[in-house]
Amino acid sequence: MPGAGTTVTGGIEAAAASAPERLLPWGRSLPATWGLYLSFVRLSFLKFLAYRLRYYTGVISYTIFISGHYYIYTALFASSAPAADGTVSIGGLSLPEMITYVAVSWIGRSFYFNNIARELSRMVTEGEIAMQLIKPFHLQTVMLSEAVGESCFRLMMFTLPIVVVIVPLFHLRGPADPALYLWTFLSFCLALVIYSQWNFLVGCLAFYLKNIQGVLRAQMVSMDFLTGVLIPFTLFPHWFQTAVQWLPFQGISYIPVTIFLGKRPGNELYHALGLQLFWAAFLFILARLVFRVAVRRVIAQGG
Amino acid sequence: MPSLIHVENLSKDYRLIRKREGVGGGLVDLVRPRHRILRAVDNVSFDIAAGEMVGYIGANGAGKSTTIKMLTGILTPTAGEVSVGGLVPWRDRLQYTRHIGVVFGQRTQLWWDLAVVESFRLLRKIYEVPEAVYAEQMAVFDKLLGIGEFLHQPVRKLSLGQRMRCDLAAALLHRPRILFLDEPTIGLDVVAKESVREFLREIRDLQGVTVILTTHDLNDIEQLCRRVIIIDKGKVHFDGLLEDLRLRLGRRVRLTVDLREDRTREAMQTTTEGLPVNWQPAEGRHHVAEFRRAEISGAEVIKLVVNACPVSDLHLAEPDIEEIVRDIYRAAGKEHA
Repeated sequence: MPGAGTTVTGGIEAAAASAPERLLPWGRSLPATWGLYLSFVRLSFLKFLAYRLRYYTGVISYTIFISGHYYIYTALFASSAPAADGTVSIGGLSLPEMITYVAVSWIGRSFYFNNIARELSRMVTEGEIAMQLIKPFHLQTVMLSEAVGESCFRLMMFTLPIVVVIVPLFHLRGPADPALYLWTFLSFCLALVIYSQWNFLVGCLAFYLKNIQGVLRAQMVSMDFLTGVLIPFTLFPHWFQTAVQWLPFQGISYIPVTIFLGKRPGNELYHALGLQLFWAAFLFILARLVFRVAVRRVIAQGG
Repeated sequence: MPSLIHVENLSKDYRLIRKREGVGGGLVDLVRPRHRILRAVDNVSFDIAAGEMVGYIGANGAGKSTTIKMLTGILTPTAGEVSVGGLVPWRDRLQYTRHIGVVFGQRTQLWWDLAVVESFRLLRKIYEVPEAVYAEQMAVFDKLLGIGEFLHQPVRKLSLGQRMRCDLAAALLHRPRILFLDEPTIGLDVVAKESVREFLREIRDLQGVTVILTTHDLNDIEQLCRRVIIIDKGKVHFDGLLEDLRLRLGRRVRLTVDLREDRTREAMQTTTEGLPVNWQPAEGRHHVAEFRRAEISGAEVIKLVVNACPVSDLHLAEPDIEEIVRDIYRAAGKEHA
């Protein structure tokens, strides 16, 4: 209404016009919220589908990586002294278990991996974050939804091809209990939440640091150790094993892989999943709080 | 008129690192960085009523964008308050952004890799636009902006003009009460600029949206806004009607003359003897004169110069925003002196 205050003529309307303008309060219903974030999942899936070609080379590099570990561990086991019963085990794992550990870790990584930290820090340093802040949504939840969409894509176009190549190549054999496949998948889904929320937190550092590239690289390398994806925890010194028990990272790879290996019998399984659930929820809430504080430090680009 | 946007004593400081010189200085900087406070927005106050279209202008680095970013909830101010329809932009961001539309000319809010129409569908969900309103708005945008032609192209394949039209539509899809435009015509050619202005005029009349517009192009302001706020070095220097501004300043025009032989400034000044034309200090073949259109016409000045000197080239230019701002600033300085 151009010139609302001047065009109205009569009693009640004039009174209403002279009161200060109010913007109506507004909230999104729960179904609408789910609907919105599901559209981000869908769009992210479509986006990655458009770039699917670049993932085919990834299948080759993952295969080479797992092969490298295969030969290292085969040589290591061959040169190790057998125990009294004639079997060889390193860190509580036999050679087939060790190969399975490595393969499943990397298969899992091909599923939960994403670049949220780099993406968020890029948005902050390039000032593009402004375009996200002018929208009525939680950027954190949007990025989580996009990560889920990306992982759906990865599962179909990346993880499955890797499984098809790796399993016959190294004669991998899974657990006899079919339920363990389901629990492992569920556990990797929780891993995705933990991984993405941790990444979001790291990305928030960009609000405070001028150059975050070094931090991103350092955390990427240390994550491969702390999640257990590179080397099983049982090969590390005792103090390291104790330390990682108190960190969220074991929930990204070590827990799902040991579930797959059947190393968590009975209630230990539920305990492990519960621990993952706790870290997922904890990091989600922490990330939301940290973002709320960090966003006050947005610096304008230009005058 | 009741105010929709209330800004009071708004300030924003940036902390910049002041680098020391040399290797030693660099090492000291690592341990104890020195900071300098830059006040980008300094004690700014204004009120804007519903339905107004206000031009917010200033030179580069004057504090325009910083103000807009505080009004849109992106930046948190150092001091002062902003209340828009009872909401505080940076505090009530999720509530507030539902009611505003924003276009930053340098950036896009569309999803780069997706077809344009996917962005609109997503925006429909984000703002919970009812199906009927969505259809109505899209019809209006197609009629006024012709976005129907490239709805199914990915955003990255659009030209700048097409992208800007889509961005305008995207900012208005949910019928916001307030529209913030930061340099909406930057980088566009004359035709595209004109179509953007035409659209803004129509949409203002059609949907009564309140508009705050920053720009470098004085034509944007002249064709769209009745009221202008001029900001320089973070301070408001003028807030009033465009007509008043013009009356206060006159319209300054600059004539650039290239000669085939050298002349002194005095010689040039004698060509327009007794007239309100000001030749800038220069020697040689290149001279610049300034005058006000209200006092003397361009044709008259050109005729005098061409008759008196061997002119090789002429160029008549309107002042840009930077010069107007400088004028305002100078005028303010004189008042204080």
